[in-house]
Amino acid sequence: MSLWEFYARNSGEVLGLVGQHVSLVASSTAIAIVLGVPVGIALTRRPAWRAPVLGLANVFQTIPSLALFGFLIPLPFIGGIGATTAIVALVVYALLPIVRNTYTGLAGVDPAVREAGRGMGMTDWQLLTQVELPLGLSVILAGVRVATVVSVGTATIAAAIGAGGLGVYIFRGVAVVDNTLILAGALPAALMALAADGLLGLAERRFAWRAT
Amino acid sequence: MTGGGGRWRAVRGGAWVVAAALLLAGCAHRDRIVVGSKNFTESDLLGEIVAQQIERRAGLPVERRFHLGGTFVCHHAITAGQIDLYVEYTGTAYTAVLKHVPVAVPDSVYRSVVRDYLQRFGLVWGKPLGFNNTFAITVRRRDAARDGLRRISDLARLAPRWRAGFGYEFLERADGFRGLAATYGLRFASPPIAMDLGLTYRALAQGKVDVIAGNSTDGQIQALDLVVLEDDRHYFPPYEAAPVIRQATLARHSGVGAALEELAGRISDSEMRRLNARADVAHEDIATIARDWLKINLP
Repeated sequence: MSLWEFYARNSGEVLGLVGQHVSLVASSTAIAIVLGVPVGIALTRRPAWRAPVLGLANVFQTIPSLALFGFLIPLPFIGGIGATTAIVALVVYALLPIVRNTYTGLAGVDPAVREAGRGMGMTDWQLLTQVELPLGLSVILAGVRVATVVSVGTATIAAAIGAGGLGVYIFRGVAVVDNTLILAGALPAALMALAADGLLGLAERRFAWRAT
Repeated sequence: MTGGGGRWRAVRGGAWVVAAALLLAGCAHRDRIVVGSKNFTESDLLGEIVAQQIERRAGLPVERRFHLGGTFVCHHAITAGQIDLYVEYTGTAYTAVLKHVPVAVPDSVYRSVVRDYLQRFGLVWGKPLGFNNTFAITVRRRDAARDGLRRISDLARLAPRWRAGFGYEFLERADGFRGLAATYGLRFASPPIAMDLGLTYRALAQGKVDVIAGNSTDGQIQALDLVVLEDDRHYFPPYEAAPVIRQATLARHSGVGAALEELAGRISDSEMRRLNARADVAHEDIATIARDWLKINLP
């Protein structure tokens, strides 16, 4: 059976899995932004925390996903089997690029600009929201872009914990030695990664002009 | 122009060096046997036993390419000549690779994989090692005791209240869930949750699902206090483990065939379960387990 025949015959299922995949990536990236950006900001205020926090985020990256799922199954609220566990794992993997780029983006703001702001009597909050964040935004968005593109690929592993997504076709294809099935999952995931990369790249460039 | 010609000569010279290196690498490959295994403990253990047996008996160096991504990767690797042999299961080859409709007769399954593998892939099946690693429909021991579960047919009346969690292989295969559900009239409350096979054991032990399909020789079954239900309607085909080897390798190294022959029928179901438990539960080193086993059983 060719790939197109497969899609024609299973269009409903394919769309359902694409929807699950998008929602896994969107919700995990959103949570990672909500957690990661404040942590990145905090690091610019407390430089001593930088090495341990980034080190921890690095360590998270190295935990194999199946091992992480294994740890999460017995835990209440964030564990069990299904979408919650998969999203927790995806958030853990998305944190590093977001935290690091937020820190880098803010730390890269010209000290003279910051001094000028302070000279004008800006509070720390005003300095952050009116000077540092707008100037660092394109670097922060670059981190979100990396996190999103990586998540589209990583979200295929959600199929290992009963959370669905395009990984279902990949796992099924690998299990029954069927290239068509593997491609049926891998191809839309690849297109989705390219689309996310392109869209967030546009956003990144849109905000870059303010920095110059 | 002369400078360009000199560069071209340099490129050609480089190409020859690369070609010679590849040729040497190719020759080196001929002197050693490459043993593969699939990505689970039992396959690694059997790969190691086979590898050590070839080293001991045939005196050939063995390269190990273990933990390859399942039947799919091993089958492609051996047909492409990347590995010389690995241990496969008759029922898996019969249904997953050859895509035959499952039958539960051991002799005819073995005979047809032997015939088809030779004709279609130039691969030879050695004699079975002795055990049958079948799908094991597994439940928690306390549930089995409470509800009087012994056979898979006992499950039919409980299924509407139970949740099942299965690996993708079991859900997809012709000899997997669909046929099982039809044979035993199993109707679960919701469709079985599809997940990674290794995680199904944890999910069962933690009470997140109530029934899973493991492998009958897995060490976790005893370690996690689980019980396997009897396949009383003989649904599953036999899954006898046996080495699969490239015909070309066998022709070039006659000692390898003899070394593998010695392993025929030597590992029983309970023996395999014990070896798996040593690796998975006691976390002993696979090379040590294989060495001990060979020393005791084939001195």
